[in-house]
Amino acid sequence: MPAVSRNAECVLRILRNTGNLTTAGILEAARRPENADICSDCAGGDSFVVAANELVELGLITRRFGKGGYRWQLVSVSE
Amino acid sequence: MTDWARIRSDFPTLRRMIRGRPIVYLDSACMSLKPKQVLAAMNEYYEMYPACGGRSLHTLGQEVSRAYSAAREKLAGFINASRPEECIWTRNATESLNIVANCVALPKGSKVITTSLEHHSGSLPFVERAKRDGLRLEVVNAKNDGTFDIEDWKRAIDGNTSLVSVVHSSNVTGTIAPIREIAELAHDKGALIVSDDAQYAPHHPLDVQKLGVDFSAISIHKMCGPTGMGVLYGRMELLESMRMFLTGGDTVRDVRYENGQILPTYLPPPAKFEAGLQNYAGAIGSGAAADYLKAVGMDQIEQHEKSLLSSALRGLSDIEAVQIIGPADASKKTGLVAFRVRTVESAHDVASYLNEEYNIMCRSGWHCAGPYHYQLGIQPTMGTVRASFYLYNSQNDVKALLGAIRALVEASS
Repeated sequence: MPAVSRNAECVLRILRNTGNLTTAGILEAARRPENADICSDCAGGDSFVVAANELVELGLITRRFGKGGYRWQLVSVSE
Repeated sequence: MTDWARIRSDFPTLRRMIRGRPIVYLDSACMSLKPKQVLAAMNEYYEMYPACGGRSLHTLGQEVSRAYSAAREKLAGFINASRPEECIWTRNATESLNIVANCVALPKGSKVITTSLEHHSGSLPFVERAKRDGLRLEVVNAKNDGTFDIEDWKRAIDGNTSLVSVVHSSNVTGTIAPIREIAELAHDKGALIVSDDAQYAPHHPLDVQKLGVDFSAISIHKMCGPTGMGVLYGRMELLESMRMFLTGGDTVRDVRYENGQILPTYLPPPAKFEAGLQNYAGAIGSGAAADYLKAVGMDQIEQHEKSLLSSALRGLSDIEAVQIIGPADASKKTGLVAFRVRTVESAHDVASYLNEEYNIMCRSGWHCAGPYHYQLGIQPTMGTVRASFYLYNSQNDVKALLGAIRALVEASS
């Protein structure tokens, strides 16, 4: 796996633990105490969304727009 | 009659094509684009006289010193300061506000007033100063639409108030605070007033003397100038009486060494606040930006933006799923609109969709205005979307935004 930022690690951990999530779901999870060790950026969440987009470009997660907004998901190894 | 299409052509960024399409830039409240005239002025410094100002006596040094002083004069003219020395170069409005918060004399136990609408840079320096020096901090609540009730100010400002810090034009709602009235109330009680003009100065004619403010904080990067440049305006007698923020080279008249002691005496403002080698290119670019905006005319820019904002507000109001944050009346606002789309949970998704599908570049989030978002019951993670207009935007940009929002609502419903 390529080296990724701390915020991207945060997004990866959240998606590993929860499966697919909305943007709001990721940002809420990033604020939970159990993720505080790596998810420590601004409450506004901009930087986590930027990190998630970087992960899409790296092919590590996917993003799909539909009802309610975007949903994010890990790319499985078999894919 | 202003030729807005010609003005638009001054901005090289707007010639870019991304994903095969032109861009629609609606994020000027965060960062304005730069006209070629500003870029040329800065480039000229780097190519022709990239030397030290103030200290090197050679020809290039003299040229820098002259250009640096001229830029300060241009900024002083732009805001109608009574003299150029009342304008201090800073890195941005945040630094300007921090200088005031840290360096102005405020009696222990006195009251500092700020508002729930402030950008974090307008409130936090004073929150920290109050904690440090045992001052009382009082927050005047903006109404939910981002306007103020002047009666709240009359109640809050009393004989114990030493300073009022207020955002002139909100970076979320765009609403314009009644600064002149607040300044009069503050001065009647012997208090100082700081105006956060980061969003106001780029879009409206600004006359610090007419408004009667004691300090004004400006970010140059929002007014067609370079990044890393700001201005602190302060009345001269206040700047003279303030503590220094940074000390070092270029701030001193003399540094004597006697009996094992280093004994500095310092220069008056602005040098007192401009320690170390300065961002000469930035200052020269700032002067060029002030020249550029003045040449177009701040009244014309204000009217142009109002026209764009009116169209945007009308169009957004017609989309049922859109909730506008703040008044839908362009006459009360700077040229920006924040909104939420009810069919999309996170404002970041709206901004991402607009960018990915239409090259429309807006800002999303809490816009460094956490207290106001909490006041409205909007969690920071949900945030708001902000579209902001400037002199290079056109009605076509507004149409593109409205069309994209309609498509977004359909795709997300």
